[in-house]
Amino acid sequence: MRADRLRSLNVPRPVTVVLNADGLPRSVGDATVDVTLEAWRIDDEWWRSPITRRYVEVVLEGGGRLVLFEDMTTKMWFAQKP
Amino acid sequence: MPQRPTSSLAACVWIPLFPLRCEEARREGLVTHPSALLAPDLSRKLWQVSPLARHTGVRPGMTVSQAIGLCPALRLCEPDPVHYDGCFARLLAALNEISPVIEAGELGLAYLGTDGLEGIYGEPRRIIEVIKRTLESWNDSIVPSFRVGWGKGKFIAWVAATRAKPGDAVIVSPGETGRFLAAQPIAVLPLDPDTHRRLRQLGIRTLGALAALPEEAVTAQFGAVGRRLWRLAAGRTVEPVVGSIAPEPIVAALTFFTPVGERDLIERAIDQLIARALKDPRRIGWRVQAVRLVAEVEGGRSWLADLLLKDPAADGARIAAPLRTRLEQAPPAGAVTRLVLELTAFAPGTTELQLFARDAVAAARAGQRRALESAAREIHQRLKRTCLYHVIEVQPWSRLPERRYALIDYEP
Repeated sequence: MRADRLRSLNVPRPVTVVLNADGLPRSVGDATVDVTLEAWRIDDEWWRSPITRRYVEVVLEGGGRLVLFEDMTTKMWFAQKP
Repeated sequence: MPQRPTSSLAACVWIPLFPLRCEEARREGLVTHPSALLAPDLSRKLWQVSPLARHTGVRPGMTVSQAIGLCPALRLCEPDPVHYDGCFARLLAALNEISPVIEAGELGLAYLGTDGLEGIYGEPRRIIEVIKRTLESWNDSIVPSFRVGWGKGKFIAWVAATRAKPGDAVIVSPGETGRFLAAQPIAVLPLDPDTHRRLRQLGIRTLGALAALPEEAVTAQFGAVGRRLWRLAAGRTVEPVVGSIAPEPIVAALTFFTPVGERDLIERAIDQLIARALKDPRRIGWRVQAVRLVAEVEGGRSWLADLLLKDPAADGARIAAPLRTRLEQAPPAGAVTRLVLELTAFAPGTTELQLFARDAVAAARAGQRRALESAAREIHQRLKRTCLYHVIEVQPWSRLPERRYALIDYEP
């Protein structure tokens, strides 16, 4: 029988985010956010253990793009490919 | 790995123009008209031409306009490779009732190993009668065009089948092999056009003329190919029929990150599991006849669908269809946490659609897979852990990116 040992891909990576006065990321770790491109929200599994995330796509100084989200339950920030 | 069964005594069943015969069998009146089958590609050229159409000058490879110009009454058929392959799989399954050693050739060509069948059916003539009866019960509208040959080894059985009249058989007993082969034209050999031309230029028209030459001289002139041809012509090569062993059940399973209740999501997961199970190398050469789907349901309950396919299939959509129906008629009583798909019974068949999987392509693909498996085993032996993974879809519809795809160990 084939083993079904699944390893999830694209697991969120915890990051340290400093917010500006508008509540948007100003810096991620040591990198400064240059532009905030887009923001959206995901609410899922409200019938079980609700998952609520606020996603933000940013451009860092130097041009790197990054998608971040804030877990609205724990208030922790993560980086994740969309 | 268990050894594949072989048989040196062989019966060859040959149904020329098999795809066209399949069309004639399902289209009323087609057999009485000149007809042709279009090629299963984008060329829009003729692939197979009925004898009636041939009488009017229509030939395979012609364009439709050329053919219609020669034969305005020509009836053209669009190709349906899945149907032809299904018919062929059923033919193989029927022949498998006579002998456990069955080897499929191209569409419409199959070899039966007959070693030991004398004890069940009697002399070769009796075995041929059983084959004829089986063919008649399989599909009586295709039967008039079949030919059967019997002899020692596949080549002699094949040549005998090509010499037989439609609906009849030619038996070459081992003592007559030399005389039978000597009279045959060299065209019965597996020749490329260049070798055929060269042999004819040398004045060699029959297998007897070729076998009369010294083996070394033929080898010197034509290389290893020439040696093989000489040995076939002289009856020195006996290629046995090589059967297959039905594989053990093939299992593919999927555990959801979160229980899934929506039917369309479960159906997508079933499609993925079927695709994974069909890719199992043990399934090569076999069609799926029976399938079982087990669902583990929230709350410790379970759900089971045990289905026997009317027509054995190697096509994912055909296997999925009855499962979808069952899912619709009697869905699981709750959200599904885990799905296990088992392919539990198989019928002899081909790797894929014969029309598109020519031998060379299939062999190259099998070679690549073997090389990959060998490399994976070596890595595993050296590092004592799996370092190779497949990327599989788990819940590609999920809004949460980490739930869409996952890695699974690559186990050759």
